[in-house]
Amino acid sequence: MAYRKIDADVIIVGGGSAGTFAAIKAKTANPKARVVVLDKGPIETSGAIGRGMDALNIVSVPGYGTPEDVVEALTKVSEGIIDQEAAYVLGEKSIEVIKDLEEFTGREPGDLFPVDENGNYKCNYLHPTQKPLYLAMDGEDIKRALAREVRRLGCTVLDRTATVKLFTADGKVTGVFAFDIRTGEHFLISAPAVVLTAGCAGRFGMPRDGYLSGIYEFPGNTGDGYALAYHAGAEMVNMECFQTNLLMKDFNGPACGYVVIPRGGYGINALGEKYWSHGYWSGDMFLAVWREFTEGRGPVYLKLDHLPEDTIQGLEKILWGTERTVRGQFHKQRNENYRCWDSVEQGMEEITLCSGHSMSGIWVNKDAETSVPGLFAAGDCAAVPHQYLTGAFVFGGIAGKTAAEYAAKAKAPKLDIDVDKLWKELRVPLDRPDGLPVEQVEIKIRGKVSQYMTPPKSDPLYNKMLWWVDRMRREDVPNIKVCDFHDLIKVTEINSMIDCAEMAVKASLYRTESRWGLSHYRLTHPKVDSKWDGKQVVVKKNLATGEMEVSSKDVPKYKWDYPTRLEYEYPELKLEIGKGYVHPDNDYNDPWITEKVSREGMDIPKRMTVKKED
Amino acid sequence: MERFDCKKYEWVKVDKSKCASCGTCVDYCPRDVLRLDNQGFPYMAYRDDCWYCDVCKFVCQLDAIELETVPYLIR
Repeated sequence: MAYRKIDADVIIVGGGSAGTFAAIKAKTANPKARVVVLDKGPIETSGAIGRGMDALNIVSVPGYGTPEDVVEALTKVSEGIIDQEAAYVLGEKSIEVIKDLEEFTGREPGDLFPVDENGNYKCNYLHPTQKPLYLAMDGEDIKRALAREVRRLGCTVLDRTATVKLFTADGKVTGVFAFDIRTGEHFLISAPAVVLTAGCAGRFGMPRDGYLSGIYEFPGNTGDGYALAYHAGAEMVNMECFQTNLLMKDFNGPACGYVVIPRGGYGINALGEKYWSHGYWSGDMFLAVWREFTEGRGPVYLKLDHLPEDTIQGLEKILWGTERTVRGQFHKQRNENYRCWDSVEQGMEEITLCSGHSMSGIWVNKDAETSVPGLFAAGDCAAVPHQYLTGAFVFGGIAGKTAAEYAAKAKAPKLDIDVDKLWKELRVPLDRPDGLPVEQVEIKIRGKVSQYMTPPKSDPLYNKMLWWVDRMRREDVPNIKVCDFHDLIKVTEINSMIDCAEMAVKASLYRTESRWGLSHYRLTHPKVDSKWDGKQVVVKKNLATGEMEVSSKDVPKYKWDYPTRLEYEYPELKLEIGKGYVHPDNDYNDPWITEKVSREGMDIPKRMTVKKED
Repeated sequence: MERFDCKKYEWVKVDKSKCASCGTCVDYCPRDVLRLDNQGFPYMAYRDDCWYCDVCKFVCQLDAIELETVPYLIR
């Protein structure tokens, strides 16, 4: 099969929220730039917001909040592990994103976003700050609007085309290799600038319901962006800060906290008690949920029944009409009703690595530059803590613009790749006559991630996880069998999951403290240690040896003096359980079994065989 | 050829009296779950990749697709 060679200026890996914004801003910054967007799905519907989204979770808009307020909130939830300048940019540029979204969708102020009597965008309280920074959105159509804009501007869009290799030469980015997951058509694309917007490691832990795609994050997001960046030598940070998703029990959508809390709802335990002061997705809230279960007050529920009927109906419209639209049907099948206090069960279902609601990802500065020249990153795979969808748009746009400017000055790279050899290697799982079913290998790695890595974190379990990582790489991955190109991409995805697991384990073991509540609650170091204040764990591939190296570095000097923590404490675990029964010693040298081995040898004799009766 | 038995278990259903075999649902599924069968009707070729996101139903102009339920394991 012949391959297609494309020469580009900017390649965007992932056409989700950040990727489409990157493409639009790259093309706007330089209309002559050849911009190629690759996505595993069609960009109209792929990624986290394919079916719409109901809010920009963090913004600063006139009359409500300032960029400094955003910095304050994020300095607290990141517990000081933050580049405050990037957080400032997130707040500063959020109003531009709001205007852009209204322009792309052709919708007026007050329609896509609510406005108050003064004409300001009307925000609500949610974050750990005294200013309202949460802006609701009726954003059912935003992804299709973004896709339309990307195509209108003349970007080359390769739908259903998965990027599997990122090339560098002399430490700089040179291009990518990708294939169409239906036809197998493959592409060698050269460019001096690559923007990674490939999302989080969402298909990572196994959800408790056991359904492989039954996860909070979009299941196409398997940490491919993390793995591509890592193998290109980019610095990865905060890989020890896990996202422990609190969801509607088993459902692929969030627990609705951000929609419900600003309108008066809150979480309660099985006794009907409000168990934590806020429902903001941060480590302390997850720790509080863990406590409720550990002390026997789970399950936890979302309480809405005290709200007026018209508010409940309004919430049903929003929650069932955008983002995860099957939610209403899901509730009905479980007889769950927002008008009953102990009806809507929540649960912490699977662990994820993500920047949007957490902190993990590729290290970037405020210009979305990674540590590799020519490589840019934005969205859930780029480590701007708690940036949410707003950050995907803000830094996606910045990444696209910066990449286009970089590409305009850079020399066209020469890609010297033996494509036939590479393609032959990649399609081995397709060509081998027999092997392991790919879904079973995925079940195995994701099962191990959940069983060994779910916080609280145990050192012996984490070390054992490294044994599994090594074993699965040696014994399982080289034996996967797939039957078509649709499943061939899953081999790359499994490799990404394994890479992410190794990074997450090693970063976790390196940070000798606990921080961010449950997100990095380490049983051998169950307290925050001030020596780790302002320090980031960095995971990086040594490109000369191929080894994974872990180190730490200081976050940029703070420009604002905000509190660097939230008010919570780690518990003292004293699980005294008394003494067990002590029986008399047995003989270690059991003469019966010794004699048996000497008489029969190690073979098990066939004492009884099946006889065919005539 | 259809890959799975247990059709009753599947949650994306097509009303064959309304479906025009246009393939829009197949092309816009973000997880590439659907294919057209040899009669031209969409079916879940990669059932367990489905995020039950509702896009197939949403993009169908003829209202021919119904998500009858959610996947058994999360029901």
